[in-house]
Amino acid sequence: MATELTEHSHNPLRDPRDRRLPRVPEACALVVFGITGDLARKKLLPAFYDLANRGLLPTNFALLGFARRDWGDGDFVSLAEKAARDYARTPWRDDVWDQLAGNMKFIPGSFDDDDAFDNLAKTLKDMGHTHGIQGNAAFFLSIPPAMFPVVLQQMQRTGMADNDESGGWRRVVVEKPFGHDLESAIELNTLVDDVFGWRDVYRIDHYLGKETVQNLLALRFANTLFEPVWNAHHVDSVQITMAEDGGIGSRAAFYDETGAARDVLQNHLLQLLALTAMEEPVQFIPSAIRTEKLKVLRAVTVPEDLASYAIRGQYEQGWLAGERVAGYRQEKDVPEDSSTETYAALRLGVETRRWAGVPFYLRTGKRLPRRVTEIALSFRKAPHLPFAKTDTEELGHNQLVVRVQPDEGMTLKFGSKVPGSMMEVRDVSMDFLYGETFTEASPEAYERLLLDVLLGDAMLFPLNEEVEASWAVIDPLEDYWAGAQPHSYRAGEWGPDEADEMLARDGRVWRRP
Amino acid sequence: MTTLWDTTGTAVVKALAAERRAGGAVMSGLALTLVVVVEEKQVGEAEEAARIAASVVPCRMLMVVRRQVDAPVPRLDAEVLIGGRLGPGESIVMRMYGRLALHAESVVLPLLAPDAPVVTWWHGPPPDVIAHDPLGIVADRRITECSYLPDPAGALEIRAADYLPGDTDLAWTRTTGWRAALAAALDSVEGTVTGGTVEGDPGTPSRLLLAGWLSARLGCHIALESAVDAKGGTAISGARLELDTGRVIDLKRADPRSVSVKGGAGPDTVIQLPKRSLGDLLGEELRRLDDDQLYGEALATTTGTSGLTERSGGRRHVWQDPAEQAAAPT
Repeated sequence: MATELTEHSHNPLRDPRDRRLPRVPEACALVVFGITGDLARKKLLPAFYDLANRGLLPTNFALLGFARRDWGDGDFVSLAEKAARDYARTPWRDDVWDQLAGNMKFIPGSFDDDDAFDNLAKTLKDMGHTHGIQGNAAFFLSIPPAMFPVVLQQMQRTGMADNDESGGWRRVVVEKPFGHDLESAIELNTLVDDVFGWRDVYRIDHYLGKETVQNLLALRFANTLFEPVWNAHHVDSVQITMAEDGGIGSRAAFYDETGAARDVLQNHLLQLLALTAMEEPVQFIPSAIRTEKLKVLRAVTVPEDLASYAIRGQYEQGWLAGERVAGYRQEKDVPEDSSTETYAALRLGVETRRWAGVPFYLRTGKRLPRRVTEIALSFRKAPHLPFAKTDTEELGHNQLVVRVQPDEGMTLKFGSKVPGSMMEVRDVSMDFLYGETFTEASPEAYERLLLDVLLGDAMLFPLNEEVEASWAVIDPLEDYWAGAQPHSYRAGEWGPDEADEMLARDGRVWRRP
Repeated sequence: MTTLWDTTGTAVVKALAAERRAGGAVMSGLALTLVVVVEEKQVGEAEEAARIAASVVPCRMLMVVRRQVDAPVPRLDAEVLIGGRLGPGESIVMRMYGRLALHAESVVLPLLAPDAPVVTWWHGPPPDVIAHDPLGIVADRRITECSYLPDPAGALEIRAADYLPGDTDLAWTRTTGWRAALAAALDSVEGTVTGGTVEGDPGTPSRLLLAGWLSARLGCHIALESAVDAKGGTAISGARLELDTGRVIDLKRADPRSVSVKGGAGPDTVIQLPKRSLGDLLGEELRRLDDDQLYGEALATTTGTSGLTERSGGRRHVWQDPAEQAAAPT
């Protein structure tokens, strides 16, 4: 696979050493299906305004919205303006917006309407002249997966997905969920890859757009300090946590079908695990990184004793951040006897020479005390301590914690002498806060990922086989859990007691993030 | 904030440590130290710029104001702030009088953040030879401002003669927007550029550097045209590239915020290219701490200096006493 970004190489004014010039995509159009949805309004449209404001969109850029509304371009522009004003990260500038708004178009129609897709294909073709997009277009499918077949089929029928026919590149962006089990994921991947070709499919896992996640690669592979201890000889265990304080919001119908394991474990947590555990890629290019991630995902093993090491929970009513919150089964539109989990904790192994014997504890949940995502490596204790036993009572495991959100950064925890006449060693922590050392405002994950799609940089997007390998991990758990009731925990607690017992059984405790 | 009158360097170091402790949340991740060399009348301007730049790249800012070098008694006044007026980082504004001004490094050295890169920015007329200013010696990156000198071509020649990797000039930073616009206009265009022009205020070095960069990259002659820009007082008001296919790419400043683009691969359009504040320019400089080879190449082509890009190594301080210089007949 080619590296990427070769398209500008013939331009003598571009030089890889010229780090001042922004990476700007070629002239192109972006078509968003389901532009009126939540994701489009809260994330996509604001991200586009932010990109435009930072001067990262090409001069010739068009944004097309497609939805079943009886709308003109004006209605679309006003929806987009409201979305951008409400949710954009960068300050509002009328001239930036006016320019973006001048290149926005709305195509009304339902997904089974041939005329609407013919209209869309024709508009894209015309834009080659009127907007100079040269046949380049990306399609963002912000629609339920059930709609994919019909939309993709329409694109195939009109030739919109064909690079050669359009004379430029055509890419498709899909959002999670990538299926609900291995079988459906393969089906979905086959469908999308057939229409677009696997190289042109971008699966968004917005966690991978976060600075700290990318920094994990820099931390591991640019330094000499960490890699020597990054293995089973020195690491005792790894804990990967993604906690949310929020409930399920208005997603009840979707969530009750899905549950925490499919919603978060399968994608975000396993991707974080892959980045933590992967071997060094031979080169910093998408294909090499994806290869290493895939190797790890295929080496992941599920414990045999699922009853002890695959715990799921469901929140009951409780108090969170000073407010009374309802239990999961009392949430609107959730069946009273729902057995969907809102919490999942799991012990996984990675069967490679580097990680054999090191447990990877993964947990995720809703209505936990705070919103936090982190990766914590807990190191082995020193084999011998020359101090008296009483001196080191307060000394725990050395830890390296990568904080993904909030307060993106890193913490190193180690023992230090307490000042005074006694020898007493206690844990202290050393913090590195991203915002303090580098730019005040890291770009939103969506900004970065959308820009990468337009640039054709697939580094941060999971490959079809990665998705399938992740499902292969989750499927046996789902089979085991099917029909059983989850354990319960009070909203505002760190999960069910059984999850604590699971670590206690191994002589460990969960880190309080 | 701590204000110290008629103080010593040691007292300033202690005051900084005390402020850090009192601040509670101690800044642990300092990325760099920014040394600002400035004249009294430009302190306000430099403070504003440093505040904006510090919000992009948190840094320890040391501002050195040299005053009355001929004052009989040396004296140091200092102001130590963490957060507040000068942005989120740590800032120290120091006024040095008398002979102390010639030994500013004696106060500055102990204040540099340990083992972090140092950037020195002369906000005002730059020294002809950076090696004469010890504050330039300690720096990994040096930022000058040629636009403070009356003769832009002459100023760039001085910089070219003195150039070592790690030097840049804000006149170069000012061309970034135009460079990005020109590069974007040339994307996806068939053909080879055979010539062009850059139009701008004859009083600014940015116009010369942009033309120098274009001709270094494109390997053809780029003519200069003078235009006293009435639209917002920006240094560069237009650029044209002629291709062997007969295509002409024409960029022209339409108003202080935007530039019209004609003749590119797409339809004619208008792009946003607002005049940037001093703080923005400084922020761009601080974002990158490796040397800017493209500036070296552009400077070499602009001034016709050969061998400039092959230079390497650092500077050694060359002692020069302004009092002796003033006394010596020229």
